[in-house]
Amino acid sequence: MATDYIYIALFLLAAILFVVTTLLIPVTLRFLKIIPHNPTPVKGSPFECGVETIGKTWVQFNLRYYLYALVFLIIDVLVVFLYPWAVNIRHLGLTGLIEMLILLTIVTVGYIYAWKKGALEWK
Amino acid sequence: MNLQLFIPELTLAIFAIAVILLDLFVQRKGVLAGVSVAGLVISAGFTLTMWGSEPQTIFNNMLAVDSFALFFKLLFTGIAILVILASVDYASKLTNLQGEYYALVLLSVLGMMLMAAATELISIYVALGLTSLSLCALVGFLKDSKSSEAALKYFLLSAMVSAVLLFGMALVFGVTGETQLSKIAQVIQAMPLTNITDNPALVLGVVLLIVGFGFKIAAVPFHMWVPDVYEGAPTPITAYLSVGSKAAGFAVILRIFSSAFGLPEWLSLNWGMLFAVLAAISMTLGNVVALPQTNIKRMLGYSSIAQAGYLMVGLATVGILPTADVLGQSAILFFLASYTVTNLGAFIAIIAISNKTNSDLIQDFSGMIRRAPGLALALTLCLVSLIGMPPAAGFMAKFYIFSAGVHSGLLWLVIIAVLNSVISAYYYLRVVKVMWFGEPTSTEKVFSSGALRFSLFITSIGVLLLGILPGLVMKLTEAASKMLAFLP
Repeated sequence: MATDYIYIALFLLAAILFVVTTLLIPVTLRFLKIIPHNPTPVKGSPFECGVETIGKTWVQFNLRYYLYALVFLIIDVLVVFLYPWAVNIRHLGLTGLIEMLILLTIVTVGYIYAWKKGALEWK
Repeated sequence: MNLQLFIPELTLAIFAIAVILLDLFVQRKGVLAGVSVAGLVISAGFTLTMWGSEPQTIFNNMLAVDSFALFFKLLFTGIAILVILASVDYASKLTNLQGEYYALVLLSVLGMMLMAAATELISIYVALGLTSLSLCALVGFLKDSKSSEAALKYFLLSAMVSAVLLFGMALVFGVTGETQLSKIAQVIQAMPLTNITDNPALVLGVVLLIVGFGFKIAAVPFHMWVPDVYEGAPTPITAYLSVGSKAAGFAVILRIFSSAFGLPEWLSLNWGMLFAVLAAISMTLGNVVALPQTNIKRMLGYSSIAQAGYLMVGLATVGILPTADVLGQSAILFFLASYTVTNLGAFIAIIAISNKTNSDLIQDFSGMIRRAPGLALALTLCLVSLIGMPPAAGFMAKFYIFSAGVHSGLLWLVIIAVLNSVISAYYYLRVVKVMWFGEPTSTEKVFSSGALRFSLFITSIGVLLLGILPGLVMKLTEAASKMLAFLP
C-alpha cells in the first residue's frame, strides 16, 4: 500500500531536479565564461515578430468593451449548446426542442435585461 | 421521470426570471417584493402538498424528494420570506437595483433547495455553486468599501473552498468509482478494511469534504470570512447568510455523511470524533472572541460560529451512533429550526433599530426599551433564546442536542458546550443590559415599517412556540430524519 506512494515521491524528486538543473545550466555556463556578457540597447529591446514596438504595453481599454464581451460570451456559449442539439435534432425530438426553447428563453431574458439596462449603448 | 416532483424549484426559477423582467417594465418597485413573496409562498405550498408521500428520486437519481429534503425546502422558503419582508425598507434605498436583489434571493433559495435534495456529488456541487454565486452578489450589494471588501473576500474564499471541495469529491470518486451517494456507501461497505488508515486517499477525500462544508457552516478553523462578511454585507443578507447558508451546509453534510459514509464503523467513528473536536474548538473560539466585540453584527457573527459548534455536537452524535436511531439527525434539524427563527428575529430587530439610528454599535442601543419597547422586547427574547434559557426555543434545542450527545457517550463535549453557554450569556446579556438600563442617547422614538413589525412578530411567536410546544416540530424533524436511511 505505502510502496505505491514511492512513485509519487520519485516523480516529485524528478520534477524538482529538472527545475533546479535547467535553472543552473545558464548560471554555470556564465560562471565558466562560456557565455559572453556584452549587453547593447538593441539586444535589450523587446523582440516581437521582428517589428519595432510602438508605445507602451500598458494600454488602457474602454470599459464598454467589457460589457460587450460579456454579452457576446453568453451568446457564444449559447451557440456552443445549439450546434450539438442541431446535429441530433431528429434523435432528441420534441423534448429536445422544448428544452432548447427554455434555454433560449432564459438567454433572451438576459439579452432584454442587458438592452434595457443600457449595456449596448456606446456613451 | 415525474416533473411534478420538481414543481417547487421550477416555480422559484420562473418567479426569479419574472421578477427580473418585471423590474425592467414596472415603475412602482414595491410590487417586486410582493411578487417574490408570492413565488416563495406558492413554492412552499407545492412543497407542503408533497409532505408524507413516498420518497422518490428524479433526474436519474440525482435529486431525492423525501421528507428530509421537503423539511429543508420549507425551512428555506420560510427564511427567504422573512428576509424579503425585512429587506423592503432596505431595498427601497437601492433605487435601480431592486429587481436584481429579489431575483438573487430567489435564486439562492433555489440553490439551497437543490443542495438539500441532491443525492449525487456533481449535483451537490452545482447547487452549491448557484447558492454561493448569488450570495456573493448579494453581499456586495451596497457598493460601499466595506460591502465590496466583504463580497470580494467571500467570493475569493468560497472559490478556493469549492476547489478544495471538488478535490475531495474527486478523491472519493477515485476510491469508489461512483458519484451516487448510495452507491458510494455500497462500495465502501464492501471494502475489506478494518482501519481507516488502510486507505489514505479515502481519508483525504473525507477530510477535504469536511473542509469544504465546514466553510459553509462557518466552523473553526474555516471561519475567517465570517466577521468581515457579516459586518460588511447588507444586514438582511447577513441574517440570510447566518441562517440559510448554514442550514444548507448542514443539510448537505447530514445527507452525505449519513448516507455515503454512515455505516462501516471504522469510518464513521473517525469522522464523528473529527466533528466532535471541531465542535469543541468552534464553540470555544466563537464565544471567547465574541466577548470584546463592540459591533453587534460582528458579535452575532462570532455567536453564529459558536452556534455552529453546538450543532456539530449533533453531527458527532450521528457519527458515533450511526445505527442506533436518528437522535442526532433529529436534534440537528430541531436546532436548525429554532436557530433560524431566533437569529432571524434578532437580526430583524437590529435592522429595524439601525435603520433609524444608522449605527450597528452596541452602545447606540442604549436605553432602547424606552425608545422602541416592542423591538427591544423582541430582541431580548431572541438573545435569551440564543443563550438557551427557557421558555425560548434555544433551551429546547440545546436540551435536545446535548441529551443526544450524552446518549452517545460524548459527556466531555457536552460539558464543554454547557460551559460555553455560560460564557455566551455574558455577551448576549450585555446587549440586554445596555438596552434596558442604559441611558437613551435621544428621546426620539424609533418607528418601524409594517413589514418589519410583521416579520418580527412571526419570528417572536416562532421562538415562543418552539420553546413551549416543541412536540409538533419534533415530530416533523423525526419524520424527516428517518428518511436519511432511505437510499435510492
